Amino acid sequence: MTAGFLILALFALLFLRVPIAISLGLSAILTMMLFAEQSLVALAQRFFSALQVYPLLAIPFFILAGALMTTGGVAKRMIAFANSLVGHFRGGLAMAALLACALFAAVSGSSPATVVAVGSIMIAGMARSGYSREFAAGLICNAGTLGILIPPSIVMVVYGAVTETSIGDLFIAGVVPGLMLTAMLMIAVALLARRLDLPGQPRADLRTVLKTGRDAIWGLLLIVIILGGIYSGVFTPTEAAAVSAVYAFVIVVFVYGDVKLREVPKVVADAARTTTMLMFIIGNAYLFAFVLTTEQVPQSLSQWVTDLGLPPWAFLIMLNLLLLLAGMFMEATSVVLIFAPIMFPIATALGIDPIHLGIIMTLNMEIGMITPPVGLNLFVTSGVSQLPLTKVIHAALPWLVVLFAALIIVTYVPWVSLVLPRALN
Amino acid sequence: MSAPLVQRVLKVADRVEETFMIVALSFMTVLTVVQVVLRYGFGGGFVWSLEVTTYTFAWLVLIGMSYGVRTEAHIAVDLVTSRLSPGAARAFAAIALVAGLAYCALMIYGSSQFVDRLMTLGNNARDIPVPRWVLTGIMPIAFALLALRLVQAARPVLWPRAVASDKQ
Repeated sequence: MTAGFLILALFALLFLRVPIAISLGLSAILTMMLFAEQSLVALAQRFFSALQVYPLLAIPFFILAGALMTTGGVAKRMIAFANSLVGHFRGGLAMAALLACALFAAVSGSSPATVVAVGSIMIAGMARSGYSREFAAGLICNAGTLGILIPPSIVMVVYGAVTETSIGDLFIAGVVPGLMLTAMLMIAVALLARRLDLPGQPRADLRTVLKTGRDAIWGLLLIVIILGGIYSGVFTPTEAAAVSAVYAFVIVVFVYGDVKLREVPKVVADAARTTTMLMFIIGNAYLFAFVLTTEQVPQSLSQWVTDLGLPPWAFLIMLNLLLLLAGMFMEATSVVLIFAPIMFPIATALGIDPIHLGIIMTLNMEIGMITPPVGLNLFVTSGVSQLPLTKVIHAALPWLVVLFAALIIVTYVPWVSLVLPRALN
Repeated sequence: MSAPLVQRVLKVADRVEETFMIVALSFMTVLTVVQVVLRYGFGGGFVWSLEVTTYTFAWLVLIGMSYGVRTEAHIAVDLVTSRLSPGAARAFAAIALVAGLAYCALMIYGSSQFVDRLMTLGNNARDIPVPRWVLTGIMPIAFALLALRLVQAARPVLWPRAVASDKQ
């Protein structure tokens, strides 16, 4: 009853076009006032403490690093490198765009940021080379979702923070699924290239490959610093994120020189804006989750599922359907924040590894980023491609087949997610 | 009239907000990295560093909420409004504004009680010699600013004539 009101209030507010953050917060507060004994003070306190969760501090730092690298020509050099590697195949420019998304994902923790970084250069570039703008937008909108699967990842930071799972392990676990999805998309592009008779480019000679590789290496070293630093225990994920931001600053201002020192404050302001947008949602999602917990919803749900005696495979189907539905209407981090505490105990009881669960959730959130009505990648792709949102949605949806296939593999082959963390521990 | 004065105050507030956010985010980042450097370079660090960083973060987000309204950063679900007539769009905007203001009012109420309790307790933060009520005192202020920005953002849709007369 109480939970029903909470969810109904949330959807009513969302439907009225109240911002997502306020919808989450207000539905939590109203439910609390109508049904629960807790006071508003408890909610205010909860909100403030949500903004002080140490692992979540990685979010502003990763966003800042991403913002610096997007404006600072890191993406441009990765694209040149990717193009020298795969540009000569049929559909080479599309493959280069995809590969560039995967490379940029390895330094960025956000999917929309990856779309902006690669899409703002490549969509126009592909259109000039004879691809349709829709094709380019659809591909990059999807490939950009790799941003949260290939480490670092803001969604994994949130999952790790709420379930107290090692963020380092989650990052490392994302590597194999990330490469797998990249390869699957690559095959899809190759097949389409044949059917649509897409153009290739002249083969780059070895010198060009080496030169573009050397240019791009500064950006790519970042992932080595992040994963190496976390895994060797040199720093926490939060510190790794802060180091990334400072490293990115040095690279784009002093090594590449693409950003002038006086332009830096604008980039920082932009990163701060994205950070607060996300954290405002997260803080309110904490309130929402808090009300669910005080109403014993996670406990009774997990009791209910256990009583049903669902086998793990059936639970995983249910989990995926629920997450896909939630991902359509809500923003990724808030879905993780609300659903992770509910699903975690059930999954543990069924013997599903917490890391595996985290990767499944991440993949669902990737799909959520390209499914309307709330799909952040769709919005930013529409922005960088200058195509109307409806056209972007049409262009992006066919690629979902590939993402669904990856989701099924990741869900039912735990090995894909667990091979690396197990090998390293 | 009072309108130009309000606008001037808001203009100044814009600058203050933005500058604060730039400084806060840069400061947090540098402080965290300095902490790593001190740990490995000098085998030590500041005890207060972590707490200062987390409070800066909280302030950044709280101040940033209203900045986000002004710069249209907050995302909403757009299922129906793009297909609405102007009149219906105004009705939707009005309801959304009321919901937003109700949210702010309740958060102001809850957080000022929270701050009030900390005032009564009178204790300091763990590692920094500042009373906790000072550090959390930004909360009701931030939600009041958010309410102000929500009204400001809704004005062009709800009261187009008033906005037009401001510009003359």
